[in-house]
Amino acid sequence: MGRRGWIGAGLVAAALLVLPPLTGFHPYYLYLVSTALLFGTVATSWNLLAYAGQISFGHAAFFGLGGYGAALASLGGLSPWVAIALGGAVGAVGAAGISLASARLRGAYLALATLAYAEIWRGIAHNWTAVSGGGAGLIGIPPLPTLAWLPVDFTRGRAGSYYLSLAFLVVVIAVFGGILRSRVGLAFAAVREEEERASLLGVRALPWKVLAFALSGLFSGLAGGLYVHMVRVVEPDLVFNRYFSILPLVMATFGGLHTLLGPAMAALGLYLVSELLLHPYVPAFHQLPYALALIAVVLYLPGGLAGLLPGKRSGAA
Amino acid sequence: MAFGGLLALRGVDIAVEEHQVVGLLGPNGSGKTTLFNILSGLLRPTAGEVWFAGCRVTNLAPWRLSGLGIGRTFQIARPFAHSTVFDNVLVGITFRSRHHYRRVLDRRREAERLLAMVGLAPKASARANELSLGERKRLELAMALSTRPTVLLLDELASGLSPKGREEVIRFYGRLKERGLTIFAIEHSFRVLAHVADRLVVLDQGTIVAEGRPAQVLGSPRVMQAYLGEDE
Amino acid sequence: MSLNTLAQALVSGALLGCFYTLMALAFSMILGVTRALNLSHGDLIILGGYLGYWLWSGSGLHPLFLVPVAGAALLPLALLWHWLFHRLPEPRELSSLVLTFGLSLLLQNIMLALWRGEYRLIASESLTGSLALAGLRLNQGRLVVAAAALAVVGALYLGLTRTRWGRAIRATSLDREAAALLGINVDEATRTTFLLAFCLSGVAGVLFATLHYLYPAGGIELTLLAIVLTIWAGVGRLRSVLVAGILLGVVEALTVAWSGPRWRELVVSLMLLASLLARSGGLARGWSH
Ligand SMILES: Nc1ncnc2c1ncn2[C@@H]1O[C@H](COP(=O)(O)OP(=O)(O)O)[C@@H](O)[C@H]1O
Ligand SMILES: [Mg+2]
Repeated sequence: MGRRGWIGAGLVAAALLVLPPLTGFHPYYLYLVSTALLFGTVATSWNLLAYAGQISFGHAAFFGLGGYGAALASLGGLSPWVAIALGGAVGAVGAAGISLASARLRGAYLALATLAYAEIWRGIAHNWTAVSGGGAGLIGIPPLPTLAWLPVDFTRGRAGSYYLSLAFLVVVIAVFGGILRSRVGLAFAAVREEEERASLLGVRALPWKVLAFALSGLFSGLAGGLYVHMVRVVEPDLVFNRYFSILPLVMATFGGLHTLLGPAMAALGLYLVSELLLHPYVPAFHQLPYALALIAVVLYLPGGLAGLLPGKRSGAA
Repeated sequence: MAFGGLLALRGVDIAVEEHQVVGLLGPNGSGKTTLFNILSGLLRPTAGEVWFAGCRVTNLAPWRLSGLGIGRTFQIARPFAHSTVFDNVLVGITFRSRHHYRRVLDRRREAERLLAMVGLAPKASARANELSLGERKRLELAMALSTRPTVLLLDELASGLSPKGREEVIRFYGRLKERGLTIFAIEHSFRVLAHVADRLVVLDQGTIVAEGRPAQVLGSPRVMQAYLGEDE
Repeated sequence: MSLNTLAQALVSGALLGCFYTLMALAFSMILGVTRALNLSHGDLIILGGYLGYWLWSGSGLHPLFLVPVAGAALLPLALLWHWLFHRLPEPRELSSLVLTFGLSLLLQNIMLALWRGEYRLIASESLTGSLALAGLRLNQGRLVVAAAALAVVGALYLGLTRTRWGRAIRATSLDREAAALLGINVDEATRTTFLLAFCLSGVAGVLFATLHYLYPAGGIELTLLAIVLTIWAGVGRLRSVLVAGILLGVVEALTVAWSGPRWRELVVSLMLLASLLARSGGLARGWSH
């Protein structure tokens, strides 16, 4: 990324930082931008996984597992901070699980397996009423507590979750950026580009795939955990919604696969356009930007998809 | 080795001595690459055994064989296409289990040395899929060397190159031999083979049809027959 | 579970399986010809169902009369999907998943906008009631749907085996390049496949709407069912699809009889995951024969 990119990103970050006081801590706008930031977090975590060549169609599973994990912990009396962290852990474990189970699947078949995985969790949440509350879900999730050592306006109500979601986004971008510069990134790229060749060079693919899944699941789980503390309820069709699988994929491919900031920027842009510009005027079609973005990627940015797609060749040459 | 009903290799028994260069030749489809795929762990043989340095290594995963010191190139280059040339070489240096460097700087220095050795230093920051055929071959060699193997399996390094490129390949073989590497090389060019090989093995339709010193083998009518219709 | 419940479940499952066969064929035909996985498959069927419902509630006609209308109504979409699929980069399997995941979202939103979230059913009186046969009670609606599905599948079978365009489609599905070398117009065969498949989807939609409540997000389950069937049967083998469809219908009916309808969706997703893991890339195997 060039210098201009960094300057732009810095400006966006600064604007996001001062947005709450500028809007007078307006609860609706803060909620809206927090959600966009959470989508940015999930989209970046999706992109991190795609960087290792693993295309997921089931991030709703990790988001929802994080949501349910955090909700249950919070309702069980743990502090919301701990609960959200636990949600992240549950998301990571759930992601590592499907990665191990589907170790032999690649490309489109892995994608289908993750899609089924998310649907399976949705089904479990619907049916395991004793724990999940069934279709009605769980209510009464407490909000984030305020922090005594900070100005009260900045941690109260929507502002607290706003800054936490901003922090999640910054952290996931920082982690991804660190990976890109480290041997982990080198291994991810090698596994993505040529798994067999990587193996011949000493890179055993499976642990790296599981690591990529676990990291991606961790951040999606954290986002899910925070989300349920924002909306204060958790339902199967809310957090295991396919929406949370499709949108990160759309945002990451549209924003630029394998780029550090693209998915987050696309998430903010697409989500805010959809909610601020379209929702008030043509509510029925407010999700149009996602479909258009996707079609644009396929039609006009063929590199956008082809760049990421692994396995252009099959079998040993 | 059988693929479904096709018997690709049958009764092939080859021993490669340490520090030797053994050439493998035979017409297209005779099973040479398949043999390399078995030796490097990409294919599991349906029957037979592979031994390396006194240990039975049949069916070991590629990363294990790589750890034991086996390196290979591919006939059709298989680099990490969207990564830089530099990163392509860095992967093996970073993840090999022997001669591991703790410091990033040491790894990067070795990558630079390797690229300089194969003449790709000016292309270090290009993407692998932007390279020409000749450059890809050099990258293949650098990648194979990046794990510091003791045995190198080279699949048609000289094929498709100009006569000048071929001379360069011959010089490469010489330098690798000086370093004490054991080399098992598939080549079609009799000129290259005659210059570099200590011993030759000829495959045809999955079986060994001739074996011995280059001068002997290259002159034998059986080999000419196997190659009938093929140039050189 | 009594023997009678068991037999009841087997028969009604087999009837449902005939519908599943019809439903899965559209998916597997497109997969065969274009190597594209159409995740918007189920949503197209639901759309066909909504169109049927809309016509039915407006006209009061017998649902069977609406079957061809809904089939024809999806044809413009066939051309649009074909145009989009034509531009997919390699590898097609994956890029088509990405594209159609988005199209599925788009269709859901359109249906949500047009028919809101309400559940709809073509509750035609002509399809209620049941027949008693050898101690079993057969739901008349299911019988009609199964008969209609079998008729359409039979017609398709004849079309694919006896006509020139049918042979062109089968050859293209078997090996696109070889078909082109043999002088078959593969582009035309592809377009015909899309038109046929979307027509089948519309037909399946109306039939589905007489069996099940429609809701805009209901398509995914049908898509997953179609993928399961395709994994089980392979691509381009009509008779295997029929066997697999009936098997799937029976498995589903037994699950429902044993544990109640709540678990149905979960079982479908579990079957998909299990089938994928068991065959690791089994869909691909279908393309080679
Ligand atoms: N993965 C595979 N599956 C099926 N057949 C294969 C496979 N790899 C190679 N073959 C067949 O095995 C034979 C030997 O191929 P190969 O080892 O590549 O020959 P060579 O390298 O000597 O030209 C050929 O007939 C080839 O078609
Ligand atoms: Mg070869």
